[in-house]
Amino acid sequence: MKAILFLEDGKSFNGESDLGAECLGEVIINTAVVGYQEMITDPANAEKILVFTYPLIGNYGCAPKFSESTKVWVSGLVMKEKSKMYSNWQAKSSLDDFLNDNKTLAIYNLDTRTLTVHLREKGPLVGIISTSEFDPKKLSEKIKEFKSRPAKSLLPFVSTQKMRTLGKPKGKKIAVLDLGATLGLIRQLEALGFSLAVFPYNASAKQILAIKPKGLVLSSGPENDCGLETVAQNIKPLIGKLPILGVATGCQVLATSLGAQLARLKLGHRGVNYPIARPGTFKGEITAQNHGYVIDNNSLRKIKEIKVTAYNLNDHTIEEIESKKLKIIAVAYNPVSAGFNQANAILIKFSKLLSTRR
Amino acid sequence: MPRRKDFKKVLMIGSGPIVIGQACEFDYSGSQACKALREEGYFTILVNSNPATIMTDPGMADVTYIEPLNVDVLTKIIAKERPEALLPTLGGQTALNLAFFLMKQGVLKKYGVESIGASVDAIACAEDRNLFKQAMQEIGVDMPKSGIARSVKEGMKIGLEIGFPLILRPAYCLGGSGGGIVYNKEELEMLLFKGIQTSPVHQVLVEQSVLGWKEIEFEVMRDCADNVIIITSMENIDPMGVHTGDSIVVAPAQTLTPQEYTDFVYLCKKIIRKIGISGGGANIQFGQNPDNGKIVIIEVNPRLSRSSALASKATGFPIARVATKLAVGLTLPEVMNQVTGKTTSFFEPTIDYCVFKICRFTFEKFPHAEKILNTSMKAVGEAMSIGRNFKEALQKGMRSLEIKRFGFGADGKDKITDAMLKNPNASLLKQIKDKIRIPNDERLFYLRYALKAGLSIDEIFALSRIDRWFLHNMQQLVELEEEIKQYRNELVEDEPKMPVELLAQAKADGFSDIQLAFLLNTKEVKVKQLRKKSSVKAAYKLVDTCAGEFNAQQPYFYSTQETKDEARPSKNKKVVILGGGPNRIGQGIEFDYCCCHAAYALKEEGVDSVMVNCNPETVSTDYDTSDRLYFEPLTFEDIMNIIEVEKPLGVIVQFGGQTPINLAVALRQAGVNILGTSSESIDIAEDRKRFKQMVDKLGLLQPNSGTVFTFAEAQKVASNIGYPVLVRPSYVLGGRAMEIVYDQELLERFIQEAAEVSGEHPILIDKFLEDAIEVDVDLIGDGETFVIGGIMEHIEQAGVHSGDAAMSLPTYTLSPDILKKLREASYRLAKELHIIGLMNVQYAVKDGKVYVLEVNPRASRTVPLVSKVIGVPLAKLATKVMLGRKLKDLRFTEEIIPPYVAVKESVFPFNRFPGVDVMLGPEMKSTGEVMGIDMDFASAYIKSQIAAGQKVPKNGNVFISVHDQDKRDIVFIAKKFKDLGFNIFASSGTASVLEKNNISAKVLPKISEGRPNILDLMKDGKIQMVINTPSGRIPRQDEVKIRSQVILYNIPYTTTISGAQATVNGIEVLVKKDLNVKSLQDYHKKIKNGKNKY
Repeated sequence: MKAILFLEDGKSFNGESDLGAECLGEVIINTAVVGYQEMITDPANAEKILVFTYPLIGNYGCAPKFSESTKVWVSGLVMKEKSKMYSNWQAKSSLDDFLNDNKTLAIYNLDTRTLTVHLREKGPLVGIISTSEFDPKKLSEKIKEFKSRPAKSLLPFVSTQKMRTLGKPKGKKIAVLDLGATLGLIRQLEALGFSLAVFPYNASAKQILAIKPKGLVLSSGPENDCGLETVAQNIKPLIGKLPILGVATGCQVLATSLGAQLARLKLGHRGVNYPIARPGTFKGEITAQNHGYVIDNNSLRKIKEIKVTAYNLNDHTIEEIESKKLKIIAVAYNPVSAGFNQANAILIKFSKLLSTRR
Repeated sequence: MPRRKDFKKVLMIGSGPIVIGQACEFDYSGSQACKALREEGYFTILVNSNPATIMTDPGMADVTYIEPLNVDVLTKIIAKERPEALLPTLGGQTALNLAFFLMKQGVLKKYGVESIGASVDAIACAEDRNLFKQAMQEIGVDMPKSGIARSVKEGMKIGLEIGFPLILRPAYCLGGSGGGIVYNKEELEMLLFKGIQTSPVHQVLVEQSVLGWKEIEFEVMRDCADNVIIITSMENIDPMGVHTGDSIVVAPAQTLTPQEYTDFVYLCKKIIRKIGISGGGANIQFGQNPDNGKIVIIEVNPRLSRSSALASKATGFPIARVATKLAVGLTLPEVMNQVTGKTTSFFEPTIDYCVFKICRFTFEKFPHAEKILNTSMKAVGEAMSIGRNFKEALQKGMRSLEIKRFGFGADGKDKITDAMLKNPNASLLKQIKDKIRIPNDERLFYLRYALKAGLSIDEIFALSRIDRWFLHNMQQLVELEEEIKQYRNELVEDEPKMPVELLAQAKADGFSDIQLAFLLNTKEVKVKQLRKKSSVKAAYKLVDTCAGEFNAQQPYFYSTQETKDEARPSKNKKVVILGGGPNRIGQGIEFDYCCCHAAYALKEEGVDSVMVNCNPETVSTDYDTSDRLYFEPLTFEDIMNIIEVEKPLGVIVQFGGQTPINLAVALRQAGVNILGTSSESIDIAEDRKRFKQMVDKLGLLQPNSGTVFTFAEAQKVASNIGYPVLVRPSYVLGGRAMEIVYDQELLERFIQEAAEVSGEHPILIDKFLEDAIEVDVDLIGDGETFVIGGIMEHIEQAGVHSGDAAMSLPTYTLSPDILKKLREASYRLAKELHIIGLMNVQYAVKDGKVYVLEVNPRASRTVPLVSKVIGVPLAKLATKVMLGRKLKDLRFTEEIIPPYVAVKESVFPFNRFPGVDVMLGPEMKSTGEVMGIDMDFASAYIKSQIAAGQKVPKNGNVFISVHDQDKRDIVFIAKKFKDLGFNIFASSGTASVLEKNNISAKVLPKISEGRPNILDLMKDGKIQMVINTPSGRIPRQDEVKIRSQVILYNIPYTTTISGAQATVNGIEVLVKKDLNVKSLQDYHKKIKNGKNKY
């Protein structure tokens, strides 16, 4: 059926949808060619309208093992061509079936390229996808109403409800503060042989210390969430006491609890091709990123113990910070697996931080 | 890290002539490299034997050598120029192998030259099958089971252990040459023999076949700081078993999961590090079992390759430029990405479109070759297309091929009609199944037939092993085709009525106007009108490396159906240059050279250049050659769409070969301004009747001729003018379907063939002038002043296509009187046709008379060669002239006759088509050319032979067998061979003539009459040179066997007396004084009025 994507600045795009529904959210674009199911199920994308710049989506189908969590988190999807069929030996179902099963609204046959260029020029915008309402005025009102809703934290939804233990029971014990952690992160930590205690987002420092962990990982999850301030306060007492690794949103939380501020990007870093470089060297890495906020450089500079260890080569924003003294590492990017389920280098580095501690 | 300062002079090796497996992609990479080196301030020395390249333009490198590419010549150049570094990774396999052998023979060490880009160790690790296998084992990367054979016996043992089918890959070989798939013992033995012969190190990898697996490729780059990036993935639609150069390829890979993708990337990084490339790029090919995801590595090319050219054009990332910068010590973060203008090269391109590459084959040129595809590459060119979905890219790609098809079938040209497919009989079904099971050049069309005949996707997959995702997309096209057909007109005159939504969808899925016209039973122009009326029009999107994330500074464009056009045409004056499309025999790099020069000239004149081309191998499709590049098929519809957006002041059709010339009249009729020589003049030159009238009017001679449409007419004309006659279609390229016919019987056959090729145009019949000398003249004119660029004398007698003939510039046997006649005729023709731009005339000279054979009112194949020899950029001048400049103002008013000699020689793809006769005729068969240049003809000629790959002997045994009428001439040649110390073997007829002249020759029996015969001697390596002229119209079996064997054993051969004459003189030079090397810049200093600036 006919569907529309309407943006808060009045720009609209026509497309089609298989599901009659409506959804609202901040419109974000991701430039990765593959990984749709992972993105859809990543809690960090909760309540977003996600646009794929790659025009052919669904080619290799879906399978439960591709999911980053147990459910779909995005508010809606925007794509150019939804593949009518899939082909891969691992696939269990089509993207269509997957979206249907999860009642996920997807608008397709839409000029995603023009939408991307528009968002690049206009900055972050809220949008609405609808299959029933096409009147710009009414759509505009719906967006207004949506924006005026009081801020609601997503953390209670994306986080585990109670502490869970995972990994190798005899391994080094690591606490993970679940701010919307992906299975990908958990799997890598497991691959490193840790015993994991996954805490709900609101765990206190005391609760965490009670299990005597060798280190703490602050996971990725939704950004700019009103509940994150409290999380930052909660973990403050742990700084200096435990080696801490902050990942993506976890990095932002760690930076705020250290006293730094965050700044919003005009166009978020969302894709798998972001170069980061180490200051004063010619060495860097290509990273996967999914963030619309960055650590404000000026505010960070005031914190003596912290050093910037990698910045984004395109716009020179901060992507990785470290404190040798405090045993803190925080990465704004997503430390994804290097391949064949092996852990990302930064996780290995973090694990070495633990071993010096004994 | 800043660029290296420990060396200043860099030697670049080009890839030599265009051959199958190594085409103009290396001109593209080499030119980018030259520019990059000079940008960094290095003194650049370039060697390449191919004069048709942009890279050998005198301005590209500081010193340019057009010399044969072998260790001997390279050593001389190194000794003379003393470079400190050698960059061998941008000149294909040729350069890489040369670097390796220069190392092996101690030349690099002796002169203190370092191999940059890929160290000699890295080259060895990737190329030496044993070292590679070991390296992969060490890092735990799986390979197909294999063993290395140094002898047939060893290979048989390995092969039988692994089991059939097997793939054979000779080491250090290009485009899979000498390799293939074998299914049984006999085939294994035969191919082992050939492979060991072909491999320069006489090694063949005997490998377990992973036939039918997915073939996935990655382009990877690494710098000296160990930064590694992936440029793109590519997925071959044709699964393993078809050489990747022959495969249809999509980028990025379409059917990989993120996990698989990550795993591949992990392997790529491991591999490039292990091989040890630390300042350059590599192409890595994998096979993947589609049933369980198992990955094996197939091969690594530690250099720029055809695939990297494709990856560059597909993503906008200039791999060659970046690789060069990395080779001189810079790191990826230090090299800017000029396309975005905002990011560095330390960035992985991401794309928001689908890229499709499809290959151009020329089986029609080699009728006796088996029309199948395997691991030995056979494609002569390729086209790349871009769309927002796979279907659009596929259809655009198929019409880019210029095989007179306008999409995925459904264009009125299908061999098998819908009616036949509705109820296919058993034999048709079998034919279709065979054609999709055994890879061949028509497989895509047969996939459509299979879908239409009702085969299921699973059945088609089982037969072809082509991934179901691709097949399903093809099925969608077939379904859409059926839907469109519901709106078919009763009468052609009726207005087409098709719902706007369906029209828009058809366009979004790449249907061309011609396809729609066929499906709707209407005319192309009516579909266009319907599109206009319904505002369904092409929008242009960007190739920007970043999927729109950044506002790109120097992107290029492709058409699609979307809501917003991002073409952003400038307000400047601009000119559209139509390129030549995919390379093919008859139309290749020479024309791309001209198109590039047109762009350079426009820049100098302050006019924006708008390039249209679809060939990813070329310099013209480089992001910085023109101001604006449209990566589009060269069809009327696609070009008009661009013209409507860009509104140029004119279009240049002279430079892209026959492709744009064929469009000139239609474009003119659509109101497009054709720059330079008018479309009227073009028509006079192409239309034989009008042409004849003009020649008569000018009082020039032409062989008697006639134009015909039917066999009956042909018979009449032929008997009037007398046999032998030359039969050819009009408006064709490279002598397609052209034949010399000696009698009526043959006439009938060829008329039929020519009629097929000629289409609605008439067939031409000319009197064939036997034993005439052919001459090519290139000329430039501004409508008032006309200047000859060069007069070239063919070395072979008339009857050999000018694209295949060896030529000498200046002429070497013509008398001043004849030259005067040639000049007069050329100027008269140019004046009459009011040539503005370039013109090429072909003449035959016989008995003191000059006959006009044909006039091409466009740039010819020889323009780059002539430009380089006389030191005047003719194509550039021609462009300026087309803009209204005068030759007087440009200070080119006098023909330059160089005080040195350049000989052009052609190279042929015979080794790719086993069993094909190597005889030359009026149908062009060569893929490329080389130039030999020296102070005298003999030296220049022998250089050209060496450059063309002939292993010219200095001693040994010569086999001579010539046609009766050549027996007088052969005596002198044979005597000279004898004097130079060669032994002569001959056929009985030839031997008796030689004996009578006191030249002793050993008689060899006819092949069927005894052994050892000539074939045995050739096999045993006892024959170093073969001279064999054809005995008449129908070649004898023996001759064909001999001539196909010379290819198998790579024995130097000549099939003409004039060739034999030139060769023996050249060998004399080799024996008596050796060859010298001299740079093009030094030659140009010898031209007296060489101080002009163009």
